[in-house]
Amino acid sequence: MSRSVLEQAVVGVASLKAIFITAMPDCLLYDAWQRGESDLDVSDVASYFGDLVRSNREGLKALGSWSSDMLVTIESADTLVVLQEINEHFVCGSIFDRDAPLGMVRLHLKRMVERILEQLPKIEAEERPRGVRLVEFVRRYAPDPHAAILRISVRTGLTTEQLDAAENLQDADIDKIEAAARRILGLNQINL
Amino acid sequence: MDPDAIAAIRTHDDQRGLSFFGETPYVYHCHHYNLFHDQTIDDVLGEERGAQVRTAAARDAFRQLLHDCFTAARAQTPAERIDLAQSLFAAMGHGKTAIEADPDGQGRITGSHLHYGLCWREKYGQKVKRFDPVDAVTAGFGIAAIELAHRLHSGELMAVEKQCLALRDPQCEIELSRGEAPRPAEVLQKSTMRSSPAQKGLWEDQIEPIVQGLLQFLGGVAGDERGLVQAFNVFVTAHLSNYYNATIFEAMHELERTSPAVAGSGQKLFREAGHVCVFNTFGNILLSPEWESLVGPLPDDPEAITAFNLAIARSLGFGHWLVPEFEVGKRLVLRTTTNYEAPFYINRYGVADRPRCYVTEGAALAFAVLAHRVRWSSKPSLDQNFYDSLFRGAGLGWDTEVVKDQARGDDVTEIVVTKTG
Repeated sequence: MSRSVLEQAVVGVASLKAIFITAMPDCLLYDAWQRGESDLDVSDVASYFGDLVRSNREGLKALGSWSSDMLVTIESADTLVVLQEINEHFVCGSIFDRDAPLGMVRLHLKRMVERILEQLPKIEAEERPRGVRLVEFVRRYAPDPHAAILRISVRTGLTTEQLDAAENLQDADIDKIEAAARRILGLNQINL
Repeated sequence: MDPDAIAAIRTHDDQRGLSFFGETPYVYHCHHYNLFHDQTIDDVLGEERGAQVRTAAARDAFRQLLHDCFTAARAQTPAERIDLAQSLFAAMGHGKTAIEADPDGQGRITGSHLHYGLCWREKYGQKVKRFDPVDAVTAGFGIAAIELAHRLHSGELMAVEKQCLALRDPQCEIELSRGEAPRPAEVLQKSTMRSSPAQKGLWEDQIEPIVQGLLQFLGGVAGDERGLVQAFNVFVTAHLSNYYNATIFEAMHELERTSPAVAGSGQKLFREAGHVCVFNTFGNILLSPEWESLVGPLPDDPEAITAFNLAIARSLGFGHWLVPEFEVGKRLVLRTTTNYEAPFYINRYGVADRPRCYVTEGAALAFAVLAHRVRWSSKPSLDQNFYDSLFRGAGLGWDTEVVKDQARGDDVTEIVVTKTG
């Protein structure tokens, strides 16, 4: 999506501080817009929003309460964050001023999402190999990201070159990567 | 243990740049290094075996230290010895402990501010959940204290950490019981540490007064009411180099035996530990008010920063480190006539068939990076993002070659750091 498209989509929404489009299921930043200067790490924000929506979806499914048009609203001290799964491939995270009326926020969101949806590509999601996604997941969330691949390497016995080409690995090796990833990240399971 | 008693057994060998408690060599490392080191041991060996190796290494290292302390203080009774051990451990910055044990060694160790558990929770607790406790050093220390207090043979006590601050428990609790533990291994002592005669490198006139000033400052550093040393924006420990060496070399040998294809990954991790150490410990010392009052404001001068780092290495007990050649922006040669890694290797395993001074090599590269890529006058914040920008991936821009290694039988260790791009 070109920058001008996202800028056009938010025209007239004065209470909007930033908007992030996250590509799912890998929680990668697709596009973002922010009002004025900011030192936000937009990639991090986008990936956390994606994770949050995914967790929320799974939780609601477990409760039997999920619907595709759900909104996640978070009221923090100075912002109002609204997360929305706008289609199966994208999550939209919008950050509004804290004092923006909720009714107006929903109205703005509806209009913005309509404009954004028109411009989003019609994509066939590529099912990337699980090994690749696991390696990326660890790189993104490991506590010492600079050492993450080396840690997987010594835990699995796979060289860093093999891990860089994880799409070529066999199932048994991918199981090893997953076990290492769970240990490094402190997770009982990884739902990629 | 009162500060005078600690001062009485603490010495620094200026010629070798090494520090000792009695016969036991020690170095200062910060929590960033300590956590990275232990994590790497567990990555290589797995959590269960890693904890076993780390506990045994700490037991052997502290057993030697405590033996010297008890002798020096003429501590005879179990109560005297346990009290002395706890005091020393806290003075070194490892945290206050309460050790309770029967004469046969069964008992427990507790602590609400142990260095490893607390620092792990502080540094990583918000980012990841942990499955395994982290306080193997305290476990090994506690075993050594109890063995010596009750005059038990080494290798008959087992430790299991039941609660840990890193697991979000309210305190750390380590249970001790009798069982078959790893046999004790010989550790390096002051009198068995080989070294070459000290040499002079560049900037010696500048380095030596700073070393003396830092040693004077470090002489007054001791654990606070929690038994922790919080200084230079990090948690610092006076730690036993026998512990670091025993664990690194055991892990590397096992990796080379079982997964030789990824031995290079293990080496890189331990070299990275050297980057972590220099970036966090050395960097935060440079940026501290204490440094400014001792040396003055930091210049953006690669030669001055490298001279400062050499002074820090010598005063922290890393060995006699010098730079004989330096070309700004192109090349740095780090030479050590003594470092804390090689003598241990030679003493325990004999002459190595490959370079083994991993932390020294990593530190050499970090010296070049910190000298050339950091604008010190701007007083940067040494956080994870800054670390990543300097050391992560292809942006590094410097490479190392180990041309001599005392662990391989060479007269000195020499690492050439060259600009790559």
